[in-house]
Amino acid sequence: MRVLRTLVQLLFLGGVVALMLRGLAGHTPNTCEYYCPFGGLVAVYPLVKYKAYTCALTELNVALLVSTLVLTLVSKKSFCGWICPIGTLQEWLGKIGHRVLGRSFRAPAAVDRALVNLRYAVLIAVPVLTYTAWQFDLGFRKFDPFYILFTWGGHETAAFSFYIVIGVLAAAIFVPMLWCRYLCPLGAMLDPFSRAGALRVRRNVGTCTDCGACDAVCPHAIPVSKVEEVTARNCTNCLECVEECPVDGALELSWFGK
Amino acid sequence: MRKAITIPLAIALLIPLAFATSTAYRVPTAEVVYLEGDARPETVATVEFEVAGLKCRGMAGTFSEQIKVVPGVVSFIAYARTHTAIIEYDPTLTDPDAIREAFEAPMVVEGTTYNDVFEMVSQKAR
Repeated sequence: MRVLRTLVQLLFLGGVVALMLRGLAGHTPNTCEYYCPFGGLVAVYPLVKYKAYTCALTELNVALLVSTLVLTLVSKKSFCGWICPIGTLQEWLGKIGHRVLGRSFRAPAAVDRALVNLRYAVLIAVPVLTYTAWQFDLGFRKFDPFYILFTWGGHETAAFSFYIVIGVLAAAIFVPMLWCRYLCPLGAMLDPFSRAGALRVRRNVGTCTDCGACDAVCPHAIPVSKVEEVTARNCTNCLECVEECPVDGALELSWFGK
Repeated sequence: MRKAITIPLAIALLIPLAFATSTAYRVPTAEVVYLEGDARPETVATVEFEVAGLKCRGMAGTFSEQIKVVPGVVSFIAYARTHTAIIEYDPTLTDPDAIREAFEAPMVVEGTTYNDVFEMVSQKAR
């Protein structure tokens, strides 16, 4: 399954890189923002109120948002762990960092709990600013690593925008999944749906040896070995824990933990 | 791990479904009617252009300003995702070539001239 997930990640990362290269070569006017599900959330209010889209958002953003929500209800945040190119890059950089440095860094629990809430602030701020200060323009572009990186400094990005991308990716080497964990508004929006996600990792307490291999390998630092079923909102069903588990059947996927 | 195959299968189903749905239910990025009511001509022809540069609501507004100077242009609908402009016009007053010339013309904004803002990629009669 690890190989299959890597292939799916490569497919989406390759697709968005190919789109970027075609755009830079002048072969397509499309950019990655047409394919961002979070754009669907920003599009909803003006679509309902004015029957019009904001800036470059289209029905594809809305449709991808709905698909992402359904996918999350089926399989938690699989969008983040299997599809999102920024998630993929951060995960790979985190693995490289862990291999080179021999360890990953985590914020102390209290700080981590506070920082996690930053995502909700971003989730609220982006639509509110879009409809007010940014006057229905997509002002988040200049702060969004997905847009900045995969348009290679596209329309409306600023000089500081690349510093954001460099900062986010460099930080992911030391603190795994930093953007996803503390700042991503799409991840924040998916949280309640992820909690209800049907397909979950279940730990068989009888066979588990409490070795902690699952905890160590989880890119989102979920304490898998401490729970009977993983309902954590951050779980992306990447299945690294299941792959890493040395005991057959100790960790397995289940529908609603059954 | 057999249940795990559900994840790639769900992705393989839901992502193409989003593309198919968004193609089937399109909402215009912008709609402008220049001539309506009594001013609307009896005979109206329609032309569809794919236009490079027509990629957001703001650019659709600029496009609409470019073509409104053409006598006989009746209405304009833009779809940013496909970069499509669907234009109704009075065939006794204008034709697709004149409309194309208008939107491809250089634009002057606050004293600065912008060339090649819009460029036709393809054209088809409807």
